[in-house]
Amino acid sequence: MTKAQVLVVGAGLAGVGAAVELARAGQPVLVADRAPRAGGAIHRQPLPGRAAISSHAARWDRLIAEAQALPIDWAFETKFAGLDHTGTALLSGATNRLMRPAALVLALGAREAVRPRTGWTLPNVTTAGALQIELKTQGLAPQGRVLLAGNGPLLIAVAAQMTRLGNPPVAIVESAAPFAHPLHSLALPLSYLREAAGYMATLIRARVPILTRAEVVAIRAEGTALSVRVETPKGPRVFTVDRVGLHDGIRKNDGGVTACAAVPVLALGDCAEVLGARAALASGRAGGIALARALTNGTPRETVPSTTLVRERAAQQRLARIYAHDAMARLADLPGGTVICRCEGGTLDDLRALGPTPRVRELRLLGRFGMGPCQGRSCGEWVARASADDPGLPPPDTPLGRARWPLAPIAIADLIAATSDTGAAPLPSEGT
Amino acid sequence: MSGPVIYWRDRILAFTPGESVAHALTRAGIAAFGPGPVGVPRAVFCGIGQCQMCLVQIDGRTVEACLTLCRDGLRVGPEQEINHD
Repeated sequence: MTKAQVLVVGAGLAGVGAAVELARAGQPVLVADRAPRAGGAIHRQPLPGRAAISSHAARWDRLIAEAQALPIDWAFETKFAGLDHTGTALLSGATNRLMRPAALVLALGAREAVRPRTGWTLPNVTTAGALQIELKTQGLAPQGRVLLAGNGPLLIAVAAQMTRLGNPPVAIVESAAPFAHPLHSLALPLSYLREAAGYMATLIRARVPILTRAEVVAIRAEGTALSVRVETPKGPRVFTVDRVGLHDGIRKNDGGVTACAAVPVLALGDCAEVLGARAALASGRAGGIALARALTNGTPRETVPSTTLVRERAAQQRLARIYAHDAMARLADLPGGTVICRCEGGTLDDLRALGPTPRVRELRLLGRFGMGPCQGRSCGEWVARASADDPGLPPPDTPLGRARWPLAPIAIADLIAATSDTGAAPLPSEGT
Repeated sequence: MSGPVIYWRDRILAFTPGESVAHALTRAGIAAFGPGPVGVPRAVFCGIGQCQMCLVQIDGRTVEACLTLCRDGLRVGPEQEINHD
């Protein structure tokens, strides 16, 4: 029998970084990703023949050239649906396969947090990240009048990228006051400052208004347009736009990351800790090296502490202070009919009807929070914050309980069609 | 129309090879993908397959428009057919 493959889920910086180191050490590797090409979120590749937008392209080109020179198997347009207690993983999509990997590396990257607001479920209201994906794949700016709103440096980045492609956003609405802390900002690593300065120069030249300490409080459909009500320290404003991009920070994409007694599971990059691109690559490589050594020698895994991670952690903490705000308290002031759970349509009133401190079972079985197909990835944080005494405190890691597999909905037909190479007779029945 | 196309209800939409169904619909000005089961309209939100808000029907299957690539002749429809009374 051939040696079992290490399954790497996610073909971004962390996943490809880990795959390269594993393959170099002689481990067979399969990298699965839902996207049609490697790149992840940061280095999402354009459609064939379109211009590449992502910065630091050389970093990605070097990594992918390294990967292509090594014997790595790839499964694109393929979902990782989960890992059961026997260590069997299910892949579904272009590749349908039940496999028993030698180890599982999760490099799922980050996801965006978007705070509920009145009208946030309307068509043409997306995450800012969704606009950026469109921009990076199409090589074109999203069309029409676009408003970007929420919190964090991604808003500035997307706005500058749109501006350079000829369609600057109507405005940026930022909860915090990031420019009020010039001394904090100057202590950021030079690479951060240079990137930020480049974006800001573009936005200033194009006269893109940046409203700070400002909040989108309501979005309404008006014909085919969207009417957006914004509260600013100088009073309310209304913008009429075609699209709104919301973004309230980055969270690790750890939904469904499970420990398993039967097979080593290792989370790397942003899905372990959100530290950005440089750290993701360093984490992926270090994790790959450590895992390969452990698999080859049959010894416990020892990860060498990384100075890159320490440096990026300090920079991210500084950025978080620069972008700090107290707008989470607004969750309590939302109209009762505001949708919190998009999957099941659960509102703030539905949540309040469960009493002051609902337990996870009550939230799920009575409130249906976390029971929809996204398994609470979108609403978990807001359910926890809205039911907490202080919505400003960070919520627990799994406010709606652990995700179950399949991690994303899959077709029964794919499950039946999946080729099984678990190397085992029919799976042992449970409880024996 | 020369080149590959997908069908959205009674419309024919050209696409670029490698483009997602969500992007082809968005470029054609189609943002609302139909009603959802609980009143939240189907539309692109996260764009990365996390939120499950952009579900559509393709070949009798419910799939994420943001993760599904266009293929020539693909028939795309709302997750649930709308009743026009």
